[in-house]
Amino acid sequence: MKYLGSLLDQIGLNGERVRMVNLSAAMGARFAEVATEFVEKIKELGPNPLGKNGKP
Amino acid sequence: MIIAEQKPLVDIKAMLDGYQDVLVVGCGTCVTVCLAGGEKEVGILASALRMTTKLDGNGKDFDEVTVQRQCEWEYIEPLTDRLENYDAILSLGCGIGVQTLAERFPDKRVLPGLNTTFLGLPTEQGIWEERCQACGNCILDQTGGICPIARCSKQLLNGPCGGSQNGECEINPEVPCAWQLIWERMSALGLLDQLMELQPPKDWSTSRDGGPRRIIRDDLRLPEDYRD
Repeated sequence: MKYLGSLLDQIGLNGERVRMVNLSAAMGARFAEVATEFVEKIKELGPNPLGKNGKP
Repeated sequence: MIIAEQKPLVDIKAMLDGYQDVLVVGCGTCVTVCLAGGEKEVGILASALRMTTKLDGNGKDFDEVTVQRQCEWEYIEPLTDRLENYDAILSLGCGIGVQTLAERFPDKRVLPGLNTTFLGLPTEQGIWEERCQACGNCILDQTGGICPIARCSKQLLNGPCGGSQNGECEINPEVPCAWQLIWERMSALGLLDQLMELQPPKDWSTSRDGGPRRIIRDDLRLPEDYRD
């Protein structure tokens, strides 16, 4: 994940757009919390600069 | 094997300035095993370059191919027919692969995507270490299978030096003293008496000091009439 984040930074896509979290199937509340938090982060970063079809 | 690592993306982008259609060529041998220039790395790099050049406002085209070995004519020959579509070749082979492509396809711009670093092995997952400097006159029989040319920072033939402390080299505590390792190995083999013999200065003419090297095996060469 560290490598992927660094690669996305080098490409110009911002490495903060990707994240991995380990959760067990019994951690529903924590899953919702992480997902909500990440959605907020993605909104803050804005749309993918490459656009839907990989076109800026 | 030959160990290499990918150049920073920003350097590769700078090299490709002025070239629009690029063929990224991987190699299926050493650089595949050291995870620097195999099919997978070719795919990742080509995708990264497509994205980053688009973001720069000048999207370039990158096609991908990986050959079994870039350092032999017969493996790169099949590339001949498709090269006319490209302005440049970005090689993810070692320096030998890059030069083989450049020699075989002299009208094409061939660029290196890797920094070829050393001859070595993976000592654990994610770590590669140098083991051989291809000096052309192997002395591993005298040193318990541990090379002082590649692994002693001073390339001593009669070590260790005074900089060896607790088995560590003075240049960096993470570098084991090669001569400590040699001593321990020869001791374990009961061959310490062999280390008592002083080694004369090494003849470096078999190494790079003698200029570019060449091996000719007349027993393997084709008869003169059959050579290219």
